[in-house]
Amino acid sequence: MLTRRRFVEYSALSSAMLAYRPLLHNGWAQTPGRPLRLAILGSVYRYQSQMQTLADRFLIGYPYDGEWHMPNVQVVSVYVDQLARQAEAAPSPYQLAMTGAKVAPSSSAKGIAGGLGREHVVGAQSAPEKLEPMSDLSRARSQQFGFRLCSDIPEALRCGGDRIAVDAVLTIVEQDDYPSNDRGQILLPSYDFFQQCVEVFEDEGRAVPYFNHRQLSFSFEQAQTMVKTADRLRFPLLAGSSLPVTWRLPDVDIPLGAEVEEAVMVGVGAFDGMDFDALEALQCMLERRKGGETGVKAVQLIEGDDVWAAGNAGLWSKDLLSSALSRSDTPLGLTVLDGRTQDLVASGVLPQLVKNPAAYCIEYTDGTRATLLMLNGAIMDFNIAARVAGHGLVSTQFFLPPPPNDAHSACLAAKIEQTFQSRNAAYPAERTLLTTGLLEACLQSRHKLNQRLETPQLAISYQPPAESQYARN
Amino acid sequence: MPESTTSAHRPRLAAVITAYKRLLHGQHVVDRFLDGYGWAGTFHHPAMDVVSLYVDQRGEGDLSQERVDRHPTMKIYPTIAETLTLGGSKLAVDGVVVVGEHGTYPLTETGIMKHPHFEFFEQITKVFRDSGRSVPYFNDKELSWNWEWSKQMVDTSRQMGFPLQGGSSLAVTWRVPSVEFPLGATVHEAVSIGYGGMGSYDFHGLETIHCMVERRKGGETGVEWLQTYRGEGFWTAWQQGVWPQALVKAALCRSSTLAPGLVPGSATFTDTFPTVEQMRALVPDPVAYHYQHRDGLRCTMLLMNGLVRDFTFAAAIEGQAKPFSTQMYLPMPDGRTTLASFFSPLVYNAEQMFLTGKAQYPIERTLLTSGLLIAGVDSAHQGMQRVQTANLAAVHYQPNPESTFWRS
Repeated sequence: MLTRRRFVEYSALSSAMLAYRPLLHNGWAQTPGRPLRLAILGSVYRYQSQMQTLADRFLIGYPYDGEWHMPNVQVVSVYVDQLARQAEAAPSPYQLAMTGAKVAPSSSAKGIAGGLGREHVVGAQSAPEKLEPMSDLSRARSQQFGFRLCSDIPEALRCGGDRIAVDAVLTIVEQDDYPSNDRGQILLPSYDFFQQCVEVFEDEGRAVPYFNHRQLSFSFEQAQTMVKTADRLRFPLLAGSSLPVTWRLPDVDIPLGAEVEEAVMVGVGAFDGMDFDALEALQCMLERRKGGETGVKAVQLIEGDDVWAAGNAGLWSKDLLSSALSRSDTPLGLTVLDGRTQDLVASGVLPQLVKNPAAYCIEYTDGTRATLLMLNGAIMDFNIAARVAGHGLVSTQFFLPPPPNDAHSACLAAKIEQTFQSRNAAYPAERTLLTTGLLEACLQSRHKLNQRLETPQLAISYQPPAESQYARN
Repeated sequence: MPESTTSAHRPRLAAVITAYKRLLHGQHVVDRFLDGYGWAGTFHHPAMDVVSLYVDQRGEGDLSQERVDRHPTMKIYPTIAETLTLGGSKLAVDGVVVVGEHGTYPLTETGIMKHPHFEFFEQITKVFRDSGRSVPYFNDKELSWNWEWSKQMVDTSRQMGFPLQGGSSLAVTWRVPSVEFPLGATVHEAVSIGYGGMGSYDFHGLETIHCMVERRKGGETGVEWLQTYRGEGFWTAWQQGVWPQALVKAALCRSSTLAPGLVPGSATFTDTFPTVEQMRALVPDPVAYHYQHRDGLRCTMLLMNGLVRDFTFAAAIEGQAKPFSTQMYLPMPDGRTTLASFFSPLVYNAEQMFLTGKAQYPIERTLLTSGLLIAGVDSAHQGMQRVQTANLAAVHYQPNPESTFWRS
């Protein structure tokens, strides 16, 4: 029901967005005034988890444009799903009392929030404790940075009060020990996180910018609801992985409005893993083609020797594969043995190196074709080549700097911060929506014995940002 | 011996290297001529053939026989002279590829390995002289550990009129971001930060600086003096601002390998900017070569082993509000990659020299950086004394106005 308060707030929100638009290009990094209050929601805050890598950047800053950039952001609350689920599974104080076990002094009924995030000493250093690789870091971070560690998502958005007390929400849902479905998709609760936030937004008639790390959901239908909801409630929704925004070697993009005939992307990783990132990197380049994005009419996921047969039959271009692989710094096989360079395509060694190849074949509505080749065993990096009318082959590597720094996630942090500060998504959520749908459809094709599937649901149109959004300065 | 090859127009090259083993410079460089490499979006095969090979030190792990077996156009010769004459009496190749890095050679009293760049050069130029003809000469990395010899190499190439091109791949590799030092800009201070030890990776740090600052207003004017800082003296100089901390910070912000701090509370962060105290804990043996050019430019090459595993650059350019900075990116096959692709632009530029007969960038850069390395080690050997470098003050040159780093 639209209450007066909600009506007023929506109107205020939209006019505020209009007012902010002209300011967009005037240096979001130097946003003056009160720090933006941020809630961070995620699955697991352990060393080198995606949550740790990204969330820390809003606590301690990150390298950006040749400086150590300290965002004008205050992380006020954090929700860690792992802790909540552990608390859920743990016996209640009543059960413990019944069995004669002692209740840990700091644990409340829910087991996580008690004693944490309530008595803050900013800047206080916790006693150096020995951390196991799987140790939770959120408690230590909470003490060090003084944010509230929350036992549920509404609490994180309201910071313990009864009103929304944050200006933006950052979510990083990743595999911890969530179950998978029969198509091999991990049932990540991204949609649940989103819905819980939306409930709070709707209750209060006020919505704040939202970032969703990587795919919107394992389910395209849920993803579609997310994008529609953000649109309906008029809050900026940014989503996706760092691959589209990281540095490129070389620094090139598809010329805006160029006719792209075909593209081949190469990458590595598991099904429902890095394939999402690779598809999104492919998509962030192809969406720049003539007419913008007009959607995908069919997909097919091919596996095994059929992948090579498809190449021989011209379903994907060997020239483009060769070009994409020429950008790789990680050929395996003989290169590992004695350091030599290798033309993996001409030498014919690919089928020997790649035991389980997969080709994600995409037919766009406008006739453009693209293929993601997952080549585990041949390389370890992500590269693309596209045939562009009037420009020949355009090829590059999406640069993933080494762990643990994962400097590419700083590129993503910058886009997130820009979105939060400007209240305008740095690139359309439709890109991530389409990629989410592409991945789901490809895994569906795999489940249906690698059949070609028509994808009327992926008739998604959108225009790309006119300016390239990957790291260049 | 045969003058004939399969293609009359393909230049024939002789390769003279210290060792041909996995991940040594000789392997990286010669393999690229033999097997090709990824370049500009294709798998590029150089339009030239390595027809002869001299390997100074073979032994366990030697790959030269395997390479000859796969590339029978290339033959191994027991001497450098025969490698150049293909066993005949006169120079029979159109270019020479020299790699003097690696291998096991004696150390100087200051601790630099006496890599045989000059000895190779002497033997090669003897064949040139005896044949009354000389050909383009590629020399990987520094010229020589001995200044007089380095100078002599450059002078000889001038006198005999053959192009000599060398240096480090740092000068030609990818930059992240992909930026070039503005030609003719006025610069007051510049720093590079790298890793590795003196007498080897310092050369890369110096080349990182010079491929940039040589483009400044007036070109390169030479270096007047140099002072090395190590140990406590390094940290004192750091605190005193002997080199600008703002530039150090700018360069470090381009690194993608900043080591997490060791102190409690920061060990669980994966990407954090270290405090000076953390850097002290991380870097047990820091090195700085701080030097002044004749036109007033001050440069500092820092080696911070333990803090970073990459090379970055920053400079204060007049008229720019904040430091100009970038990373010279090395895809490093130490687990990060499998292929040392930074040798690709080095070889590509060598190919261009062989095809055009013109050096792609001035050998004086390499002369200056070779001399700076020697001066840096000398200064350390003399108890971190400032050393006057009259020899380096005499090295002045103009850069190639066109960029030669990897960007396509």
